[in-house]
Amino acid sequence: MSEALLAQAVAALKTVGLNYAFVLDLGERSAFLRGLGVTLQLCLLTIPASLAAGVLIASALTSGRAWLVQPARAFVEVTRNTPTLVQLYCAFLVLNMLITQHVKLPGGNPLTPFVWVVIVVSLHKGVFHAEALRAGIEAVPRVTLEAARSLGFSQRQLLWRVELPLALRFALPALVNNLVDLVKMTAVASAIAVGDVTYESIMIWTQRDNVLELLLLILVFFGLLTWLVSLVGRWLEERLRMSGYGQ
Amino acid sequence: MAIALAAVLGLGAAAAHADATLDRIKQRGKVAIGVVVGGGPFGSIDPATQQLVGWNPDLARDLAKQLGAEAELVQVQPSNRVQFLQSGKVDLLIASMEYNADRGEILGHAPTPFYRVGGTAAVLKTSGIAKWEDLRGKVVCASQGSSYVKPLQEQYGAQVRGFKTSAESLLALRGGNCVAAVHDATLIQPLLRNNAEWAAYAAPIRDEILPAPSVVWTRKGEADTIAAVDKVVQQWHRSGWLIATEKRNGIEPPQPLLTELQARFKAP
Repeated sequence: MSEALLAQAVAALKTVGLNYAFVLDLGERSAFLRGLGVTLQLCLLTIPASLAAGVLIASALTSGRAWLVQPARAFVEVTRNTPTLVQLYCAFLVLNMLITQHVKLPGGNPLTPFVWVVIVVSLHKGVFHAEALRAGIEAVPRVTLEAARSLGFSQRQLLWRVELPLALRFALPALVNNLVDLVKMTAVASAIAVGDVTYESIMIWTQRDNVLELLLLILVFFGLLTWLVSLVGRWLEERLRMSGYGQ
Repeated sequence: MAIALAAVLGLGAAAAHADATLDRIKQRGKVAIGVVVGGGPFGSIDPATQQLVGWNPDLARDLAKQLGAEAELVQVQPSNRVQFLQSGKVDLLIASMEYNADRGEILGHAPTPFYRVGGTAAVLKTSGIAKWEDLRGKVVCASQGSSYVKPLQEQYGAQVRGFKTSAESLLALRGGNCVAAVHDATLIQPLLRNNAEWAAYAAPIRDEILPAPSVVWTRKGEADTIAAVDKVVQQWHRSGWLIATEKRNGIEPPQPLLTELQARFKAP
């Protein structure tokens, strides 16, 4: 039933010059749907992983201990100033090869291309989160910190209970901005043959030459995802609003 | 605007004449030939002299000589070679470019092939793979848009991973992300032969996948140029010059098509 409906839709689109015949090919349709799923998985894994990395790096940056601050700063600068694609190639093609050659694990190298994409994208965006959070942490008023210290808060309690909750509110618009960018960035996965929606589309259009049709679908899909992210971001901003602080 | 107008007029003149390219070659005493020099015996740059050397440049130089003109070799890339030819920057292409029907639609070519190129698989010597059927269900690296993807998936049931270019695909093979990397035999054979880094790898599958003839390309509809070039290519086969050139450039294994065609053109 739905197959007939699909065929009708494809025929209707054909009349306006759009060739979506690939959805009638079972193999290509399932490849494309799998690609949508993989992109969703990538987003769902990299969003929390990048935020965790951001908090870690931000706390290292603002710790005031030189042995923590300096490596963290170096990592931020290197990561922020090189393209994600280059990092992904370095990680997957160079690091991964060295690991495969030198670590002889019984089950082979456990780091699949998918895992590398999650690691590289999370760390790359984590650095941007860290800088946004650092701005937030440094914007916490000195008197607030003094008040907390006088109540006997330890350094860690200070970070978790005072600085980060306030920094999060301050940095939220920048963080949401980063997350929107992160969703789009998952398309680099296609460069190392991780089957995300971009990769599956490339593999289809190099056989069928229906570039425009597939790019339209990709555009709509990413547009939908980024719109959802910014919607959640706006809701959080609304919810976390504190009168008299930040916005 | 004036340039565009001149270009349109030029095209009109070309269409009106039987064959502008051959006239121009005779007139200038020079012929611009696009060659691909990707490194290896098919075309590379001699580090000492900065000269283009190898199979493609050798053929281009001799073709110019046989046409009674001086050779102007222009380096082209697989991604831009068609534009170089269509825009008139080069007159002919000897650029590791195989014949297929789509290309035949937009360009002209000398019908006698000077080589044949198919896909072969680079695998670890320890992988135990000996024929294409052994790749069933295995992960195989290739280039995105490679014509080998379809037969690998549909005929041999391999799981193909397409990388942006052959360089990344080959690195992925060495990283252990796939069992085999499938590319042009003209890329894989010299790589495995001449590189200590690739000592652990081999190309054990003897028959090539999707073998296609390499031809000299011209702009569409230039019948006189095509005829002149084809005569030269046939003469290359007849005299055994191609076989000698293959040997001189150290291309191995020898392409059986060359002996086949030599026998055909020698026959009275």
